[in-house]
Amino acid sequence: MELADLQGMWFKLQAQVERLAEERRQYLDFFEQSPEAYLVTDGLGRISEVNGAAVDILQRRKHLLRGKPLGVLVVVEERAEFRHRLKAIVDGSTERSWLATIAAPEGRVEVTLTARLMGAGGICWRLQAME
Amino acid sequence: MNSRTSPEWLMTTVTALRELMIKRLETELDAESKRDLEMALEELDVMWEELQGQAALLVRENERYAAFFEFAPDAYLITDTGGSIREANQAALELLKAARNDVVGKPLAECVADEDRVAFLARMVGLMPGVNVRPLGWRARLRPTAGEPVAADFSVRAIPLKKSGVGGICWLIRPVN
Repeated sequence: MELADLQGMWFKLQAQVERLAEERRQYLDFFEQSPEAYLVTDGLGRISEVNGAAVDILQRRKHLLRGKPLGVLVVVEERAEFRHRLKAIVDGSTERSWLATIAAPEGRVEVTLTARLMGAGGICWRLQAME
Repeated sequence: MNSRTSPEWLMTTVTALRELMIKRLETELDAESKRDLEMALEELDVMWEELQGQAALLVRENERYAAFFEFAPDAYLITDTGGSIREANQAALELLKAARNDVVGKPLAECVADEDRVAFLARMVGLMPGVNVRPLGWRARLRPTAGEPVAADFSVRAIPLKKSGVGGICWLIRPVN
């Protein structure tokens, strides 16, 4: 590879990385700093992303939440309903918001769960704690 | 991503190497310098590949977050500090009953009902230009492209704009039930 070619390619790659880093900053800011509690699961309800506000509601460490099924965070008596609603959402139901109870370490937390299907089969959830 | 393999670290290191090589090339090369240069080039090749890997990782990560923005259960708009819409997610487009092309580039105030627009603009003035936007909210009627105005709560917070990194405003718009 000639040095001049390398230099040209280097500048292009450098510009690309800088642009990508800017994008990442915006999205991270958008997701992580959101005062709204959001998490992302796959179609089976397994958590892949969770933001700080959701961590506060669920009262568990972020790394422990990743990979955990959202359903197991719901109190036992509501899990069947959760599974039923999750399946309906994946099947395209427009009923995507309901009241649920989270079994948090410091006690039960009443939340409104609102879900929206994402493009690649994932689901984005909002958790809104009842006041 | 640790700091030693971050794109920034790679860029700094590879830039230093490139400058070193250029400096060497400006002089008459003896055998030793030539060997040094060849070694540096080899190292540069390795870093080059690593940087490409980091770029690919960033692309994947950004795609994940972009999907989250696009399919968030809430309506979000991102404007510049002048109030011009830069980005809109699916929920916002559904709320405005508009196509993305009809919304992006338009002043957000145009999406507000006539009766509420002056008050809306007055509140917006307090957010700009380049002011550190703190989370706050107010209520106004939204004017979809079809149908009756919809009362909605607007919450705003500061966010860097994607292309320039300069300050923008992130709007969460939630219809009032």
